[in-house]
Amino acid sequence: MEPEPLPEEAIVVVTRTGLLRPLSACIAGLLVPGLGHLIQKKWDRALVFFGSITVMFTFGLNLQGRLFGPDFSDLFSILKFTADAGSGLLYWLAWLNGFGNGTPAANTYDYANVFIYVAGLLNLLVVVDAFDIGMGRKQ
Amino acid sequence: MRSHFTLMLIFSILVSLVFAFIAKEGARERAKYFLYLCGSFLLLSLLAGWLMNPFPLK
Repeated sequence: MEPEPLPEEAIVVVTRTGLLRPLSACIAGLLVPGLGHLIQKKWDRALVFFGSITVMFTFGLNLQGRLFGPDFSDLFSILKFTADAGSGLLYWLAWLNGFGNGTPAANTYDYANVFIYVAGLLNLLVVVDAFDIGMGRKQ
Repeated sequence: MRSHFTLMLIFSILVSLVFAFIAKEGARERAKYFLYLCGSFLLLSLLAGWLMNPFPLK
């Protein structure tokens, strides 16, 4: 059974933009929140994404949240690390400099962790948005 | 900053802002969506807190 051919519009979109632009936007966005939009000249989005995600991540650290390191021993550790590391260089710089040890006894500990997780997960969503813009699927 | 309500407010504002810019085009559409999301976050959280109120912690 032969696979169905792609719709003509999809072929036109892919061949017009190529994969270099969307992939470079993804990599840039994975490193710094909003950078994938910045290199595609989406200034307003880049500013909002950078500001929101950075503020959220910083709040998480200041509220005594914990940065979960690369630990692949069980599923939850992998998920926590993936969510945290989604913030890109923010995570790696903080982690390598010894921030984010976390204080489980603090009454803001759970809130803080949620701030850090959500900052990373939002950045992953922002990266997908940058990819879609690069592919010409949205403006 | 230790107020859980303030933290929830900050969280709601930041998440709603990102979602509004991802999902909508144009300032007016984004503002409407932002207010809708932020209001939903706050109201539903208060509602959930109110529903959990009768249950003791221990």
